[in-house]
Amino acid sequence: MLTVGIPRALSYYRYFPFFKTMLEGLGTKVVLSKPTGKRLVEDGVRYCVDDICVPVKLYYGHVLELKDIVDRLFLTRLVSVEKCDSDTYTCPKLIGLPDMIRSSIEGLPPIIEFVVDIQNRSIHSSARRLGEMLDTPPALTRKALSRAIDVQARYEGKLLGGLTPEDAMSAAFSGNGSSGGVRAGSGDGPAPGLNVALVGHEYLLHDHFISHNLPSRLSRLGSCVTYMTEVPPDVIEAELARYPEISWSYEKELLGSASYFLHREDIDGVMLVMCFACGPDSIVGEIIEREVRTESSPPLMTLVLDEHAGQAGVATRVEAFVDLIRRSRRKS
Amino acid sequence: MKVSFPHMGNAYIALSALLSNLGAEVIIPPRPTQKTIEMGALHAPEFVCLPFKVNLGDNFQALSMGADTLAMVSGTWACRFGYYGRVQHQILRDAGFEFDSILLGRDGVGTVYNKFADTVDGNLALGWLRAFRSFRSKARAVDALEASAREVRPFERERGSTSDALSRSLSVVHESPSVKATGSALDRGMELMDAVEVERRGEPLHIAVLGEIYAVLEPSLNFDIERRLGEMGVVAHPVMSIYKWLFRPLKTDPSILVEERRARRVARPYIPYVLGGEEHQTITGTIDAARKRYDGVIHVFPFTCMPESVCRAILPRIEKEYDIPVLNLCLDEHASPTGIETRLEAFTDLLRQRRRKKPR
Ligand code: SF4
Ligand code: SF4
Repeated sequence: MLTVGIPRALSYYRYFPFFKTMLEGLGTKVVLSKPTGKRLVEDGVRYCVDDICVPVKLYYGHVLELKDIVDRLFLTRLVSVEKCDSDTYTCPKLIGLPDMIRSSIEGLPPIIEFVVDIQNRSIHSSARRLGEMLDTPPALTRKALSRAIDVQARYEGKLLGGLTPEDAMSAAFSGNGSSGGVRAGSGDGPAPGLNVALVGHEYLLHDHFISHNLPSRLSRLGSCVTYMTEVPPDVIEAELARYPEISWSYEKELLGSASYFLHREDIDGVMLVMCFACGPDSIVGEIIEREVRTESSPPLMTLVLDEHAGQAGVATRVEAFVDLIRRSRRKS
Repeated sequence: MKVSFPHMGNAYIALSALLSNLGAEVIIPPRPTQKTIEMGALHAPEFVCLPFKVNLGDNFQALSMGADTLAMVSGTWACRFGYYGRVQHQILRDAGFEFDSILLGRDGVGTVYNKFADTVDGNLALGWLRAFRSFRSKARAVDALEASAREVRPFERERGSTSDALSRSLSVVHESPSVKATGSALDRGMELMDAVEVERRGEPLHIAVLGEIYAVLEPSLNFDIERRLGEMGVVAHPVMSIYKWLFRPLKTDPSILVEERRARRVARPYIPYVLGGEEHQTITGTIDAARKRYDGVIHVFPFTCMPESVCRAILPRIEKEYDIPVLNLCLDEHASPTGIETRLEAFTDLLRQRRRKKPR
């Protein structure tokens, strides 16, 4: 059976259930790269241009991991991930990602490039092209597509229900229809009720190696974790209407959910998790601090991550933040 | 109205012609220096791209010189430039300054057009027409003079004489009060350039300079690379120019549009999608440099620049396929002139060696 490698990075966090179901429906075997580890990061850094954001370096690492063990490499080009009336893009690096990989790594297996450009091209047409590339009969492609859309919808439902991508994926794949599931942060922490919202790119937040297990770190400190993926799209839409327009789709979600959290009573603190050297984050982080945050907002902390951020440093900052919100809660 | 805008090479000459013809008093901050950059960096988000910091520094200086209105282009593109004005102006307001914003591209055309209804002398439409003509003639004059300096500099007998002549010529153009006067100022400037004493010393190296537009066109950011190269006896060929930068978005000059379209087409095998910056000029410029048998290419871009980081990953492949050496200069506020100088020297040495082995 033809094996197709999918890097566990960037688009993986948003679309893996779709990709996997689709590819399996087309008669291939999906191979996912291993979770990020030290050696993988080092490899990625070696092949990637310096001074680029860490998620792209990780993507390189995952590609290298797969390169010699699969028949085909599945690369994604995320151009736009939503349909709307105004301009919408991801980020130049996500748009140019396959071009970068092709030019900088030699000896790659044949590439299957999957373009996500929802603004200009339906997912059906991207899927059709994928079917053609794999030489599958159209009927089979259609069937695979409709299954893939179902699984993806289930996945997104789970994310909205508060699961992490990892948990949401296993729930979606097992076909478990019941909503909810165990929320990541609602363990048996000592101080129930403390609630920290995490705002940041999912491919950063949920890469345990780079985020130094941020979500579970928070729950160990006794805080519930609310992910930005729990905020429904229409709520984000409504929040965005309060500010001048921006066109980066990932950043819209950041801005919309940050605005939502920063105006809520049941959120005790908001952590804005940014990647060092991320272009859009540098602008939107500033907009959140200057245009969104108000006097009465819960405490906001910015955590900047990259491959050099040490575990101890992150731990200290997170602990300090949880202390701070505990104190500010006692006061009010 | 006392209006100001950030620097971009010699664009201020054309821009102040535009605004003063509309009856505004134009405040031109001093050309950016290390101090400007530091001032901007102090208030800017930490890892925002360098042009943001320089522009912000320019704005600080302009406000302290009494500007009451700041103008900036703005839009919703995939790269950060479109958001500069919005965030910078907020930072300045948070720092306690009060001023009026003109965000070209975000404020509708009508709003910007009418902004000058009270300041313009006489009819508004005629004022705009006059302003546009003057803007265009000065932008063209600046381009012509800069081009001539690039040709002369590698051969000047006395180091610095070209740059002196250029700055004198530019100030004559800057001070010319009418389109007609700009015409004679340009003639006068060209005479000054012709008067620079030169001596032929064999065929110089030719190097294309390309990359992020601000890094290519703003000497304070690129350590005056054109002049440095010229004084090393190298002919620099920047891929962009102030005139093209100013007129491209206006879509009034078909030759620019044709060139843009061609650049997209040539770059397509390497970058099939638009990234929102100068990526097509970077890729195509490198290929063109090889085809024109230039000796090398210098790729300049600010640290964290998104479209150019993508190009940075692709250029090694073009370097190989087209056999043209590329030097990457990633610029940030910590880059030092000596560091740049050393790298330029090493690069030109390499190119000279290649030339000896493989004459053009
Ligand atoms: S959005 Fe930021 S983190 Fe993501 S690829 Fe672009 S620059 Fe990197
Ligand atoms: S092109 Fe690069 S340097 Fe210029 S605004 Fe965009 S990201 Fe910043």
